[in-house]
Amino acid sequence: MPQIELTQLQYTYPQQSFRLAIHHQVLSDSLIALVGQNGAGKSTIFKLLTGLLTADSGSIKINHQELSDLTPKQRLKLIGITFQNPDDQLFNATAQKEVEWSLSQVMANKQQITLKAKAALAKVGLEQQAGENPYDLSLSERKRLTVATVLAVDPLVYLFDEPLMSLDWYSKQMMTKIFHQLAASGHQIITITHDMDWAAAEFESLSVMANGHFKFSGTPKAFFSNRSLIQEVGLLPPKIMTIAEKLGDSRPYLSVEDYYRQHSK
Amino acid sequence: MVKNQSISLKNLSVKYPGSTAPQLKQMTAQADSGQIIGIVGNSRSGKTTLCQVLSGVIPTIISAKVSGTYTLNGHSPVDDWPAYNQLTGVVLQNPAGQLSGLADTVADEIAFDLINQGIQEAVITKRVNQAAMQMGLTAQLTQHPESLSGGQLQRLAIASAIATDPQILILDDPTSEMDPVGRQQFFNWLAGVKATTFIVSNEIDDLCEIADLIWVLQDGHLVAQGTPHQVFNHLSANWQLPAPTSFQLAQKMNWRLPTSDFPVNFQELREAIHATN
Repeated sequence: MPQIELTQLQYTYPQQSFRLAIHHQVLSDSLIALVGQNGAGKSTIFKLLTGLLTADSGSIKINHQELSDLTPKQRLKLIGITFQNPDDQLFNATAQKEVEWSLSQVMANKQQITLKAKAALAKVGLEQQAGENPYDLSLSERKRLTVATVLAVDPLVYLFDEPLMSLDWYSKQMMTKIFHQLAASGHQIITITHDMDWAAAEFESLSVMANGHFKFSGTPKAFFSNRSLIQEVGLLPPKIMTIAEKLGDSRPYLSVEDYYRQHSK
Repeated sequence: MVKNQSISLKNLSVKYPGSTAPQLKQMTAQADSGQIIGIVGNSRSGKTTLCQVLSGVIPTIISAKVSGTYTLNGHSPVDDWPAYNQLTGVVLQNPAGQLSGLADTVADEIAFDLINQGIQEAVITKRVNQAAMQMGLTAQLTQHPESLSGGQLQRLAIASAIATDPQILILDDPTSEMDPVGRQQFFNWLAGVKATTFIVSNEIDDLCEIADLIWVLQDGHLVAQGTPHQVFNHLSANWQLPAPTSFQLAQKMNWRLPTSDFPVNFQELREAIHATN
C-alpha cells in the first residue's frame, strides 16, 4: 500500500498570515477524505504533494522516496491530481485530445495513447463525448473528464480536490464506484471534500485539517463521535446525525443504513 | 394585479446555434412572488440554461434562439430589458467569472452595480456593509477579491447580487464551493429572504427544508413541479435524483405520515414518527 510521509513541513504564503506547519503526518490508508473549513490548508497540501508549490522546509516522502529527488515524469507516474475547478486544467480541443495530452507526458507510443485515452473516457461514461470540445460539456462532465485524464495515466496515488463539487447524483455514484475500485486495486486515493455525508459513509479514514495543521486522523466513526472536535475544527456531522440529534439521540451514525442497522438490532 | 406579480413561463424553448436539439423544451410553469423555487436535475437537464434565460444572460450575452414567453413580476426581458435587469440579482455557476475585474477590494466589488446605478455614497456604504454582513464577509471588506477562497468568492457574488435589493434572485449552484458551516449559514439566510428566488442546487436536504416549489428538469423538459413533499413522494428513477435524508430514513424505518406518504424534511419527519408510534 502506498504511503505518504510529511515531516517538519512548513509553507508560508507570500503576503498572507496563513502558514502551514506539519510536525509529522503519515497517510497510509487507501481511501482518505481530507476535510476542513475553507482556508484550512487542504489544497496547499495537494499543491505541495504535486510540486506546484515548494515548501519552505521539511520533507515529503511517497513510498519512502523523497519527492524533490524525483524527475517530473517519475512524479507524474507516482501521483496524479484533479483540481477543484476543471477549467483550470482543460485546454485541448476535444475530450479525447485532453486525455491523450496527459498520457503524452508519460509515454510515447501514439497507438497506445489513443487506446488508453478511449478506455479512460469510457470509465467515466464519456465515450460518446470523446470528440466534443470540453467547453461544450456540462460542468459535471468536465469534472469527470479531469478524472479521466488521471485515470489514463494510472498513478499510484490519486489526489482529488473536491471531485463531487457541482456533480449531479449520477456522477457522484459513478465517482464513488471508481474510487472504491481504485482502492481495491492497490492505489491510494486522497480526496478533499466538503460533503460530510459522503466522507462518513464511503471513506476508510478521515484526515482533518484546521489552520494549517492536521487535527485528526482516524476512522469516520472516531471523528464523528467527538462532538467538541467537530466544533473546534468548524465542521458539521453528517445529516443523519443532525436529524438523530434533533430526535434526542446523540450517538454517531455514518449513514441512514448505519442508523437502521443500529436500530433494528 | 396579483396575477401581474407572479412568475410565468409559457412554452419556453431555448436552442443554441449549431446544436441539433433544443436545450430547454416547451417549458411551462408558474410560481408566486416571494416563493423559493428549487431547480433540480441531472447534468445536461437544462438547469444552467434556465438560469441564463431567467437572468437574461441568454440572449443578451450568450446567443441562443428563445421561443415562448416568460415574465417575472409582470416584466418581460423582450419588452423592457432595463426594467427586467433591475429586478434581478444573479449568481452564475462560476463566481470568479462574474467579478467585475475592476475592483481592488471586496467592498468595491459589492458596490459595483450600486455605483453604476448612481446611488448616493452614504446609501452605498450602508448597503455594502449590510450585504457583507449577511454573507459573513465583513472581515474581508478591504481584501482584494482575488485573495478569497472559492467559498468566499461565492459569498461575494451573492453579496454583490443582493446589494441592489433585487425582487428576484437567480442562483446557480451558489454553495458548491462552500464548506459545511458556510453552506448551512447560507441556507439559513435564504430561508428568511423575501425576494422570489430561483436556486439550482444538488443539496436536496436543504432545498426540502426551505423551498416552496421544486422544479425537476430532465433532458430539457420540466418533468415535475410541486411542493418538495409532492415531488419527492413521486420520485422517478429516470430523474436520477436522491431522496432527501428524512425520506430515506423514514422509508427504512417505515415512519409514515397519516396520508401514508413519507416525510421530506425534519418537520414532516417528526409528524411521521408521531403518527407511527
